[in-house]
Amino acid sequence: MSDVAIRIEKLSRRFGNLTAVDNIDLEVAAGQFFGFLGPNGAGKSTTIKMLTGLLAPTAGRMQLLGLDFAQHSVEVKRQIGVVPEGMGLFERLTGSEYLHFVGQMYGLDRATTRQRSAELLEFMQLADRPKTLVADYSHGMQKKLALAAAVIHRPRILFLDEPFEGVDALAAGALKTLLSRMIERGVTIFLTSHVLEIVERLCSHVAIIDKGRLVAQGSLEELRAGVAAEAGSKTTLEQIFLSIVGQDGAQRPQLEELSWLM
Amino acid sequence: MRSPGLTRQIQLVAALRWRILRNNLRRKNNRLDLLGLIASGVFGALLVAGLSIALYFGAYTFLSTGRAGCMALFFWAIFVWWQVFPVFVAGFGASFEFRTLLRFPLSLSAFYLIGLAYGLADFSAIAALCWLLAMTIGAAVASPGVLLAMLLLSTLFVLMNVTLERLIGSWLERLLARRRSREIFFAIFVLLMVSVQFISPMLNRYGDAARPWVERLLPYLAPFPPSLAGRAIAGAALHHFGDVLLGAAGVSLYLLLFGGLLWLRFASQYAGEELSETAAPARVVARPTATAPGQADTLSLLSPQIAAVVRKEFRYLTRNGFAFLTLLLPPVLVLLFSSQISTVRHTGPAGKLSPDLFFPGMMAYLILILMAPAYNCFAYEGRGIQSYFMAPLRFRNVFLGKNLMLTIVLTLEILLSMAVLAFRVGLPSPPRFVATLAAIVFTVVGQFVIANWSSLTFPRKLVFGQMRGQRQSGMAVLIAFGAQILLGGMSTLILFAGRWTGNPWLPAEIFAFLAVAAVAGYFASLDALTELAEQNKETLIEALCR
Repeated sequence: MSDVAIRIEKLSRRFGNLTAVDNIDLEVAAGQFFGFLGPNGAGKSTTIKMLTGLLAPTAGRMQLLGLDFAQHSVEVKRQIGVVPEGMGLFERLTGSEYLHFVGQMYGLDRATTRQRSAELLEFMQLADRPKTLVADYSHGMQKKLALAAAVIHRPRILFLDEPFEGVDALAAGALKTLLSRMIERGVTIFLTSHVLEIVERLCSHVAIIDKGRLVAQGSLEELRAGVAAEAGSKTTLEQIFLSIVGQDGAQRPQLEELSWLM
Repeated sequence: MRSPGLTRQIQLVAALRWRILRNNLRRKNNRLDLLGLIASGVFGALLVAGLSIALYFGAYTFLSTGRAGCMALFFWAIFVWWQVFPVFVAGFGASFEFRTLLRFPLSLSAFYLIGLAYGLADFSAIAALCWLLAMTIGAAVASPGVLLAMLLLSTLFVLMNVTLERLIGSWLERLLARRRSREIFFAIFVLLMVSVQFISPMLNRYGDAARPWVERLLPYLAPFPPSLAGRAIAGAALHHFGDVLLGAAGVSLYLLLFGGLLWLRFASQYAGEELSETAAPARVVARPTATAPGQADTLSLLSPQIAAVVRKEFRYLTRNGFAFLTLLLPPVLVLLFSSQISTVRHTGPAGKLSPDLFFPGMMAYLILILMAPAYNCFAYEGRGIQSYFMAPLRFRNVFLGKNLMLTIVLTLEILLSMAVLAFRVGLPSPPRFVATLAAIVFTVVGQFVIANWSSLTFPRKLVFGQMRGQRQSGMAVLIAFGAQILLGGMSTLILFAGRWTGNPWLPAEIFAFLAVAAVAGYFASLDALTELAEQNKETLIEALCR
């Protein structure tokens, strides 16, 4: 078994003239809770889409669990779980039907699928609406269902694109516990989130992407050390992030221009 | 800070609607939309102008020939148009949520008046105003004494109609806000459209018998606004001013009634009526997680992935009222055609129709209708399309599942239609029957290959239970037409080959060979389609997750 869960080499993705992801190299060790950060439009979702087979790279190589994605896409997909940007739900199924569908798509037998679906729906507090279609779920409920679908086959790597967006505080707490237990079990989690406090609390390692380029990578301590050496007292992830992506001083929008609002 | 005046607010709403229309055209970057808009504008203008001229001469004729009572017919026609036309276009019109204006600082009375003014800007209202004006001029030219009465009644009639139309519209908005009722509404709409087909046979059969009943019902229409308006105009022509006052008072009463009801509706909206159907948070009920005892798996012969796709397709079909109706309609139409043909057949030897011709024709019609959705088979997947690409499967399994589901539906429909045809027209001779069955296999399987390719190459998203903005992919439609003309043409030639060669079994033999070749070609195509799916996944996801 490889110690590196995710290895990206010279990965690029262009859309016409726009280079969304520009020649990035990245390594995520097995069992890491990895935070992938960046401002809006930096290339986070594009990277996750490429890592999960939703988008073909323009150039570069991706290895997951030691397998080359391009050559072994089916084997790789069998071992990963994904909550994509748009959640990827079939809205005309009920939550239970959707989980059954996903379980069978991952090759689980019906009895296992049924048992895991029931338990996941219970855990996600979705079991009290057995006949409600996904289309009629609130955004937070859909997010919880997408998470349940991503873990039903016990993936070894979990990709989460903004998993806490729209999820209530109670459910978010339960999800964090679930994710922490998965990490204890050796699962690798690759997470993007704009809520830096959550990333700071959950993730041991972080990478920051800006304008398609990887601008920082390492453990939180390493990043803190790197930034602190330059700026002295900056210690929170938010401060590290702002410092690295250049919104610290001169580029910050001038609030003086909105003086009429003050 | 002072709120803008009512006139300014109405101007702002008008400007907003104009900008929405303009930006919508710019965003789509679709000249055809603009051309379509211009074409429909010209057509609408011609319709309004033509009917205005007709109503001018109609009113003139009625007043000048002493038949002023017939003016009620015109008022009825305008009334029905004004109330029914907006209902029919409710699902198709440009998207503008009038209620969104509520976020701005409007008083309830301003909201009410803007709502009425908004109603007067609809095509149906503008057309009706033109027609009423033409009627007024025609009546006044023929009999100048009725001008004042016409002006008074037309004004009241306009106010009453616009109020009622807004009242119906606001209830319709509430109704269509819910998915289930929206689907039921569209199902009724489709059924109405189909029912139109039955009007002619019904009139032929029952027209004479129904006439006395209709005539008996006519007096009961007298208390309604169009009849009251017509009666008032007739009274004015005959100088019976009591009738004018009675008619005007009647229409005014309706105006007050509808105005009051509309005020209540708008007040509900103004107070923040919730139309959303999103599930409200509910208390979580603890329930045992024990699973149901193992049930026999009816799809156990299939791989789990294909079985999952088949189940999902079945559920989608049963929950898509529109698609479900589209599947129910062909056997109904076969019944309709066969009943009309049978009628012809019994009229005499000259009208006799051979089942050898009718049976293959009806089967071709069924395939034509039922195969059409296969050319854009991912239309209703929405964001779920990503699931197929995230899952560890070869895309061939998705096609196998989808095609299998459609094959099951087609088989059921064909069996049902065969039963109908056997009962109404009779089955064809054995050689023609076998040839038709083999031809069905050939054309359906052959089309699956083309349709799967089309679905991957020209995808277009469609939304359940919604007709607004629902347009099939233009290229997919063209490809479907081309494939069906090609395969249908080949099949027709082969069917007639039996007659030309004098060998009745020859078409069956040719079709059997072609069917085997088509099945082999279909399975051979699946790997190539899997490759194509991988190449086109971005196009698919982009088109369907939009």
